[in-house]
Amino acid sequence: MNALLDAIQMVATGEVLVAILASAVYGMVIGALPGLTATMATALLVPVTFYLSPIAAVATIITSSAMAIFSGDIPGCLMRIPGTPASAAYTDEAYALTRKGQAELALGASLWFSALGGIAGTVALMIMAPALAEMALSFSTFEYFWLSLLGLMCATLVARSSPIKAIASALLGLLVACVGIENPGGVPRFTFGSTDLLGGIEALPALVGVFAVSEIMRAMVSAPPPPLPNRKLGSILAGQWDLTKRFQKQMWRGNVIGVLIGALPGAGADMAAWVAYATSKKMSKTPEKFGTGYPEGLVESGAANNSALAGGWVPALLFGIPGDTITAIAIGVLYMKGLNPGPTLFSEKASSMYALYIVFMLANILMIPLGILMIRVSRQVLRAPRAVAMPLILLLCAVGAYAIGNNPFAVVLVAAFGVLGFVMERNGYPVAALVLGIVMGTMVEQNLVTSLIKSDGDILPFFERPVAAGLAFFTLAAIFWPAVVWLIRRLRPAAAAR
Amino acid sequence: MHLSDRVTGLCLALLGSLAFWGGSRLPAVPGQDVGPAAFPMVIGTGLVLCGLMIAFGIGHTFEVEEPAEREEAPGLAKLLGGLDWLAAFLPPVLLLFYVVAADRLGFLITAAIMLLVASRALGASWRLAIGVTVLAPPFVHLVFYKLLRVPLPDGPLTMPW
Repeated sequence: MNALLDAIQMVATGEVLVAILASAVYGMVIGALPGLTATMATALLVPVTFYLSPIAAVATIITSSAMAIFSGDIPGCLMRIPGTPASAAYTDEAYALTRKGQAELALGASLWFSALGGIAGTVALMIMAPALAEMALSFSTFEYFWLSLLGLMCATLVARSSPIKAIASALLGLLVACVGIENPGGVPRFTFGSTDLLGGIEALPALVGVFAVSEIMRAMVSAPPPPLPNRKLGSILAGQWDLTKRFQKQMWRGNVIGVLIGALPGAGADMAAWVAYATSKKMSKTPEKFGTGYPEGLVESGAANNSALAGGWVPALLFGIPGDTITAIAIGVLYMKGLNPGPTLFSEKASSMYALYIVFMLANILMIPLGILMIRVSRQVLRAPRAVAMPLILLLCAVGAYAIGNNPFAVVLVAAFGVLGFVMERNGYPVAALVLGIVMGTMVEQNLVTSLIKSDGDILPFFERPVAAGLAFFTLAAIFWPAVVWLIRRLRPAAAAR
Repeated sequence: MHLSDRVTGLCLALLGSLAFWGGSRLPAVPGQDVGPAAFPMVIGTGLVLCGLMIAFGIGHTFEVEEPAEREEAPGLAKLLGGLDWLAAFLPPVLLLFYVVAADRLGFLITAAIMLLVASRALGASWRLAIGVTVLAPPFVHLVFYKLLRVPLPDGPLTMPW
């Protein structure tokens, strides 16, 4: 109880509340602009979090990402251009509703079920995390090794691309993480004599480069989004209660799918939305209505992507393994602020954990009034010319990357990763897998090497403990799953021919 | 900037073999079987395998083909005609310009040049481009220098704060 009171005190300070409000507005605007993703919003915030107290710093990340995931739905509804990849799964559905003259219903459903999904995700986080923390206390390096590898493999599975290219991306990320002297021998590895590389390549410049600079590069060679049609919007929340009652089952299913996929290391909000939309269609009594402007799928997937956000924090807080690209950034901030992830966080820093839950709740409640406001001014925000927004982001990338360590080399890294991200994306290599590889490289290596030293080079102990064996099974299944699918596809036509 | 799978796959395989070779030359930790060499060698092997599979087109069937519509980009890309993909590399070049020039020209002038070039390259009208060039740098300076206390180089132009 004392911890809870402490937590309320921690959140109810001017700094935290202003940070929540400011990052909410920031997240809303960035999420609504096509091409600017929730991950990018979060990455650009990190330099700012340097100067905030721990709770305020984490609060900005939680709030801005939640808002951005919702507001990504706005251009999806109005222009058929998803503001963030997490809205892409149901953009067609939302736009079909708008074409039927029901833009308010589409926008309202996105907002209402996003907020409810976020709250459900938070409750799940509150229940799941402490229970799993008990279990995580007994984990050894074997379990951590498999868990981090499983996270990486999940990221490659969920990519909508060739699994081999996704695995190659993750390996590339792991290779980037090899740079520097932080390795089992403490020797300079792949530094090519450069002192800047001795400390290794930090995840943040890589993230900013891959998610922000490469997006600006893409904008240079693509047409700007079409202007928003002039449209008067009626009441946003009217009819949402009816929808909630009508599609209660779908909403809950969306929430559960979101939390589970979010909690899966490596898979985030966009995957949750795709899976929830597909599940909704499969389970629906009227699947033929999907795609024609029917809110059922919208309810389920809109709830799923926001609940996935909170779910993503489960592995991040417990094991330091990112649930998605946003928590990959958040983990860095947690370490920086002395809230080192791990199961002991829940016993030693219980009040900080409660404060985090309160921030999650506040952010999702604040989403409703701010979301309505954002929808009302969306026409003005979406009119912001890309030719102004993108150069400004580029400037923020330069200043932000420099601010991280007052080192110009970070800006060079941002540029390099921008090029890498751009070329990779153009050629079908998923960049999220690369980023997770960079973030998790040190962890995978440390746990692998320590485990190998413990086992005297023997592979068998990796499978001896029951949890380790279970995790190993899932990881290997994830690695070999594409081969199995490929084989089934090959055999099926042969069987059909007979 | 679309390269064939054969090219990207072979590049990855080459990178993997370099990682393997570079890793194998790292000194071992005395009295320990597993050292700093193990991980790069494992990754290198993986990259070689993946690279070769990509080069031979394995796994290609899983890819979701994006509709290949040729988009008309305004500004620099339009100006470059057939070489429009070169325009994509302007943002990283501007970042490198920031690294080289910020100390000499100061933050305000460097930022202004970056904004002007980038906004014009993205097809902004002169009025809009000059507007953002004049207004944005002092604002960013105020936020980062004054509020966040990030040291930004002064150069010939200094701000009153």
